[in-house]
Formats: sequence, structure tokens, C-alpha cells
Amino acid sequence: MEEELINTKNTALSFILEAKGERELEEIRLQFLGKSGKLTLTIKGIAKLPIEKRPEIGVLANDVKKQIEDALGRKLEELLSQTTINCDIDQTDPGIPSPIGHLHPTTQVLNETIDIFKTIGFQVADGPEIETDYYNFEALNIPKDHPSRDTQQTLFLDTRNTNITPGEIILRTQTSAMQGRIMEKIKPPLRVIVPGKVYRYEQVDASHGFEFWQLEGFMIDKNVTLTDLFGTLTYFLKQLFGEDTKVRFTCHNFPFVEPGVEAYMSCSVCKGKGCGFCKKTGWVEVLGAGMIHPNVLKTAKIDPKEWQGFAFGTGFSRIIALTYQINDLRTLTNPDVRVLKQF
Amino acid sequence: MKAPVSWIKEYVDTSLSVTKLAEKLSEVGIGVEAIETHENETVFDLEITPNRPDWYSIIGIAREVAALENKKILLTIPPIPKPKKTLPFTIHNNVELLEHYSGVLIDGVEPKESPAWLVKRLKQVRLRPINAIVDVTNYVMFELGIPLHAFDYDQIQGHEFFVEKARGGERFTTVDNATYTLPKDAIIIKDKNRIVDLVGIKGGLNSGISSKTKRILLQTSYDNPVLIRRASQALSLRSDASTILEKGVDKNGMMGALSRAVELILKTAGGEIASEVIDLKDELFAPWKLNVRSKRLDKILGIEISQKQVLSILENLNLSPKVIKDSIECTIPTYRNDLKIEEDLIEEVARHFGYNRFPLTLPAGTIPTIPIPYAKPYKMENIIKNLMKASGFSEIYTYSLVSEKDIEEHGINSEECLRIDNPVSREYEYLRLHLYPQLMKAFRQNKVVSKTIELFELGKVYSGRSIKEAKENYALCAISNAKSFLHMKGIFQRLYSDLGIKEEVTLDVVRITNQWVLIESVISPLFEKAIHHTSFKLIPQYPPIIEDIALVVPQSVKTGGIIEAIKKQSGLIEDVSLLDRFEDTRTFHIIYQSRERNLTTVEVSRIREKILSYLKKTLRTQLKERA
Repeated sequence: MEEELINTKNTALSFILEAKGERELEEIRLQFLGKSGKLTLTIKGIAKLPIEKRPEIGVLANDVKKQIEDALGRKLEELLSQTTINCDIDQTDPGIPSPIGHLHPTTQVLNETIDIFKTIGFQVADGPEIETDYYNFEALNIPKDHPSRDTQQTLFLDTRNTNITPGEIILRTQTSAMQGRIMEKIKPPLRVIVPGKVYRYEQVDASHGFEFWQLEGFMIDKNVTLTDLFGTLTYFLKQLFGEDTKVRFTCHNFPFVEPGVEAYMSCSVCKGKGCGFCKKTGWVEVLGAGMIHPNVLKTAKIDPKEWQGFAFGTGFSRIIALTYQINDLRTLTNPDVRVLKQF
Repeated sequence: MKAPVSWIKEYVDTSLSVTKLAEKLSEVGIGVEAIETHENETVFDLEITPNRPDWYSIIGIAREVAALENKKILLTIPPIPKPKKTLPFTIHNNVELLEHYSGVLIDGVEPKESPAWLVKRLKQVRLRPINAIVDVTNYVMFELGIPLHAFDYDQIQGHEFFVEKARGGERFTTVDNATYTLPKDAIIIKDKNRIVDLVGIKGGLNSGISSKTKRILLQTSYDNPVLIRRASQALSLRSDASTILEKGVDKNGMMGALSRAVELILKTAGGEIASEVIDLKDELFAPWKLNVRSKRLDKILGIEISQKQVLSILENLNLSPKVIKDSIECTIPTYRNDLKIEEDLIEEVARHFGYNRFPLTLPAGTIPTIPIPYAKPYKMENIIKNLMKASGFSEIYTYSLVSEKDIEEHGINSEECLRIDNPVSREYEYLRLHLYPQLMKAFRQNKVVSKTIELFELGKVYSGRSIKEAKENYALCAISNAKSFLHMKGIFQRLYSDLGIKEEVTLDVVRITNQWVLIESVISPLFEKAIHHTSFKLIPQYPPIIEDIALVVPQSVKTGGIIEAIKKQSGLIEDVSLLDRFEDTRTFHIIYQSRERNLTTVEVSRIREKILSYLKKTLRTQLKERA
């Protein structure tokens, strides 16, 4: 009987603990303490016990009854009090901000970009910013004295205390430098994007900097075509800027591609109507691209008769700026929390 | 380059509207950057790529319009008239420097003001009118893309020219009265006594056209582009002429330009031809053949363009296509020096077919799965960045280039840092060795605008005393005025565990002030050690035994050492942590756990004895006596 009482108590208490509402609580009360409740019946049974056992069990039974009643009371109070507080809340009071930080727009747009290219099978590479003239220029069909070097004024590293020719080690001016490095190490087929910092000898203003981000991409396979390049770039821009983005291509010259391409998209700020961002043209230049020049493949010991590919590059800082309508690239290196918490 | 639309239309008949023309030109590669108005007429501002020096000319633009519209170029240049007399003049050329030289003397010129039509054109292309002779040379340079120069014949001492390379160090005053010290190997022309021309860049003041000039030598030449470029760079002196010449002009264009300039000078400045035409060259500069295979064309472009259309495009571009079996043979005019390989012809077809008429496809073929070299650990970077964000930190990106002051004010010797030879400014001269100086700067910047400041950067740091030892590594740095050092360390510990790395965290820099706590760590090694997916461990099925031990520890003994020492004593110790620290007492929280059975108190007390005796022996640490 002792054991039965304790079991009844434990069962009742666990039921009470789990009770979700007043009605359920009342059912539990009836189940245990009602006229034909479990405990009530047990207590009635005490009369049938030998007389010497009755006081001891009686005390225990009363204790169990009291504990169940107390638990019911506490639970009822708890249930009632929950409803009361909810009613009192002014839901228009401002929420307390979670102490969570913010990821930089560069990181956010980079992650979006990686996601987009991953869906079409591209892998992501990184690479040295301290680069050789060879990978940055020569391997890309840009020999010394090539006039196109003028468009990429270069920062040179100090060669003191070494036997390295001054000018041979530079800060890379373009992430395209990774084309040669990757191509000479692994056989095609290849689909690669390379985001990263690049450096130029340029004065800082709202749309230029000496240090900024680029994104390079290239693909080599047996039958990669110019239509694939146009399709891939359109896919990327529409995924990032929205399906209603318009894309336009023009011919352009970069020594490491032939045919060469430049891609424009309808201005994401004014939706092509014309604004300060797009110099009132409705279009912004976003990517340089083309079919990889056979000389670049040959330099990397890839046979251009067997393999062909496309390459593209973009001023990634500019893409980030366009994503958030930032009109000054310097915003991307400003650590002001009033800037950061907007992202 | 500026190109007045009305000037283009002098050579090609087009009915296209200005905006349509701009759009078409841009599509074929002549980027119309802006549509402007100069002298009440529409002028295109063009971006010319370095491979197309022929487009640095109105005729070059007109040729492209003609090709687009299937029209012919309208320009006839009369031949230079026969001389009625001959003035003495000798030139000693060096064909390695000037592969092609053409010149002629004109007597009896009057270098007056240019007529209105000529002045208007020069102003439209942003040139200052000077006098009829100089203006004509400039006009023809813009018209045909071939620079010319006119000398005052009477200022040429000895009436004799010597074409040479500069020895370096010679002084030379240009026609606009600026004096330069010439670099070695600049191409120069000397008369009997003096340097009179810095070829391809600027003429000399000593022999230029003045209002008193009566007799002139008019010349044009194909100059070694590399030497022009080097000299122009060394002097930081660029002229319209050098901009064109360094890209290599039409080697066959000299006579046309000279004839055109003669025609216009006789018209605007008068005079008569006073010498035979001098035309010096060792070669004929003949057009060359280049083939494009139809199969290759389709394979690169991804579409099939009918042979008829291909031939029509090539014909319109003056490439004289001829079908030979499976390929098309073109004859390349000498002004198209950019056409050297088959792919160049493929581009010609594609751009005039119209890039925006191509269908859009996504690449077929297998998706590469072999890990590439230089793979970027962006997944791990994101684990770290998201953890930092969740812990309250906002991410910043700062410059990798810093100033000497930035470095030295933190007690770092700038000799330890990699240096740029030609920095944009002294502010950005060195590559950063650490991230923290810039995090501290960012903290200071934010002090006035925010109470709580918690920032982090995950970026590259650069080390090496010389570029031979240069290394690039990723580092993580965080600064906070809301967390203690142990909170910050806790975040780094969580970072290790999220990357599946089971070792004590390494902190390379720890700075604590009354305002903030900062830690920095090079994290590239973690990318190597990280485990992509750690294996799951079952929740223990047997209860642990937990106990707290208060130890009296000498001040010099580190908590980390004690924890390590305790853990070493038994495989049944699941975890040890520091619960409390008070005066010389440190309380350690030890969890004993077996995965196979219930531990007995006897077992645990045996381990405890082992721990205590070991600590006493090695770390002078003992159990605190109960008071």
C-alpha cells in the first residue's frame, strides 16, 4: 500500500507538471482526488488494513494528498499568472536588440556570388597578392612594353637585400594572375572563380582606389563557346541583381582573350532610367571577358587545338557597391559602426 | 579620343541617328564613353583599345561605320605635285629606328591663321590652333591616324638630318619650350650641330614653325614603337603622336598622310613643292594572308553563321575573303596590324555579326570535381565569420597597405615589414604584419558614435624581412569593450571546436587596456587542421562522477598547466575546468566518466590520489586543508 501511494503521487505530480491548461488540470484533480479518484479509492482502502498499520499509512496518505493538492495549486497559479502577464504587455514597446554583430557587405556579396557559381559547377580559388610580373602579365600574353600595361599602373615590392630584379615582384594588379598558376598545375576541364584583393598605382576617389576587390573566373573544356560565356555572365548578373536585369555585350580588347568582350548591365540603382551611378546612360560596365587567347593556353602547356575556354573579370568592389547602391567605394573600408550595422 | 560626328560623315554616308551610331560603334569595340557638344556639333568621346591604333583616326572610325552599313569610304587624296625646283636636303636614316620615312620640302609658305573649318575641327578634338602648317599636321594626324611633323627648313643647320639613338643625358627643349634630359635610346634627329626632334614625341623649339617661316620640311615616319614608348615613359611625356605611335601605326600609311598634308598646306598656307619626295624603306610592307576555318569559327562561337554572311562581313572590313576548301583566306591590309591569328578573324566575324544577337547557353560537359590548387577555404572562413557575428562582433575590411607610422607606433620595426618601392603615398607604403593596429584605429574612430564597440577582421597579413621570405597568411583579430579576455578566449575556443580542432587555442597578440580587450591569431594553420565533419559521439549511458577540488597553487603556476596535468592522469577524466579563483586557491571542476560502466567511488578516489600526488610533485600544488 505504501508503494502504491508513492507511485500514485509520482504519477500525479508528473501529470501536473506537464499540464497545458486549466481544464487539463481539473481533469487531473478529478482523476486523483475526485469521488472515484485514484487516491480517494486508496484512502478508502485504509479501513481494510490491520489496525496497527492504519496510523502510519494514514499519515503518508494525507501527506500524498497534500502534496498533490499543493502541486495542483501551484500549477494553477502558474497557468493563471502566465495569461495575466501576456495581457499586460504593450506589444508596441521596442524589442531589445540581440547582441549580434554584422557581416561586411563584401563577405555577403562574395557568399552570394560563390553560391551562384557553385550551382554551375565552379570551384573557388585564392592566391598570392604578392605576385610575379610573369603571372600577372607575361603569362597573360602581356609582354613587357605592351601598351595595355598603361591601364594597370603597378605597385612594385622593394627588392633590397635580394638578387631579384626590381620590378619583377609586384602586388598583383588583377586576379587574372591566377589563370596561369592554376592552369599549369591541373589539367582541364576547369571551372574556377578567384575572388581577391588587387592593387594599382591609383589615387583614391569615389570610384577608384589603390586597393580593391576583383573576381576572376575562367572555364576550360573541349567545347566551351562564346555563347556559353554570354550565357554564364547573364546568369550570374540576373541571379545577383534580379531576373529583370538586362545585359548587353560589346567587343573589347584584352590581350589574354580573343574574341574579347565587355559586359554592361542595366543600372541596378535607377533600373535603367539614368542616374548618377550610370552617368545617365542607364547602363553600367560590369565585366571584361572573352575566349581565352591560345597563347595563354600554350604558355600553361595546354593544347589550344584540344581545349578552349572563356575567362572573365570584374571589379568586385563595384559589384558590391551596385548591390547596395553605395556611391563611394571608400565606404567599403570605412569601419564606422553606423555603416556596418546597415548590413 | 574625340570624334565629331559630322567629320566621320565626311567620309561615309550614314543615315543612322547619333544614338544608334553610338550604340553600334560600342558594340563593335569603339566604346562611346560620352556624347558631347563642341563648337555646336555632336562629338563622340571614344575609348580606343591599344590594339587598334587605326581607330585613333576619323578615317578608322568611318571605315568601321562603312563596314557596318555596307558603304564605301569617300576620300581621294591627290598625289604630291612634281617639284619645280630642288632645295638641298640629306637624311641619314637608321631603318631600325625609323622603318619607313617620308618627307618633302615646300617653299614659300605663309604660316598664317588657319581657316575656320580647320580651327573648328581642332577645337572639337581639343587641340589648340597654332598656325596653318602646324594645324594641318595635327588635322591629318586625327584624320588618318598618322602623326606628321613640320620643320622650319632654314633652321636645319647643314640641311642634313642624322637619325640616332640618344646616348642619355642630352638636354633638349621641345617646341612648347620645356626642357628635358633625354633617356638612353630615345630616337632623336640631329642636324649638323643640334638635336632638332625627339622623334614620335615632340619636335624641337630650335626648328619649329614660326610666323617667319618661309620654307618647310614636312615629314612622317614609322618609328620603333617600343623605343617611343620607353622614352615617353621615362620622360613622363606623352603627346597625341606618341600615344598612337607606341601602338604601331600603318607602316604603309606614310605616303598617304604626307600627300594629304601637302594638299592641305598648299591650300591653306600656300607655297610650292621644292624637292623630290623622300621615301625611305627597306621593305614593301605588303598585306599578309590569314586563314579562318569555318569549323573552328563555329566551334569557338557556338553558333553557325552562314558562309555567305561570313564572307560579307569580311568583305565589308576590306579583308578580301576568298573561299579555299574548308577555310576562308583573307588578305590583311597593313593598317590592321592587330589581325595575326585565326581567332582575330573569328572576333571580326563575331563583332560584326553582333554580340547581342548570340543565343545564351550554359556550359555543357562534366562538372570538375578534382580539388583545385589554391582552393579558397571559404566554408571555414564563413564558420569563423558567422561565429564572430553571433558573438556580437561586426566585420570590417581594412587596407593591407599601411604607413610607417602605423607600424612603428606599435613598437614594430618597419624593417620587419615588406615595403612598396613606389607607394601611392607614404600613408600606404608597407604591407601590414598584423591586423590589430587598424582594429585599434577603427575602435578610436567609433568611440564618439557608439558605446559598445565590438569589431573583427579576417584578412591577410604579410610577413618576411625581404620578398624572398614573403609569406601571406590569414589572421583573425577582434576588439571589444564589452567582453573580458576570458570571454574573448572562449569565442576562440568555440571557433576551434567548430572547426573540429582539438587543441589549446593559440593567440599571437593579446592586448588589454582599461578600455578594451584585443586578441589576434594567425589562422591559416587552422584551415589545414580543420576537420570538415567530426564524427558523432554517443551520449554517455552511465552517470558521471563530478567533483570540485580546491587547490592551493603558487602564483607562478599557470592554470593551463594544471588542467593539462590533471587530464593526463587518467583516460576516465572527461573534462577539467576552472570553477573559481580566490587568493591562492583555485577550484577545479573535474568530470569523471566511463563509457562502458558505472564508476565506483573507490575508482575515482584512486584517480584523485594520483592527481594530487602528481601536482604536489611537479607543480608545488596541493589540496586545500578544510578550515
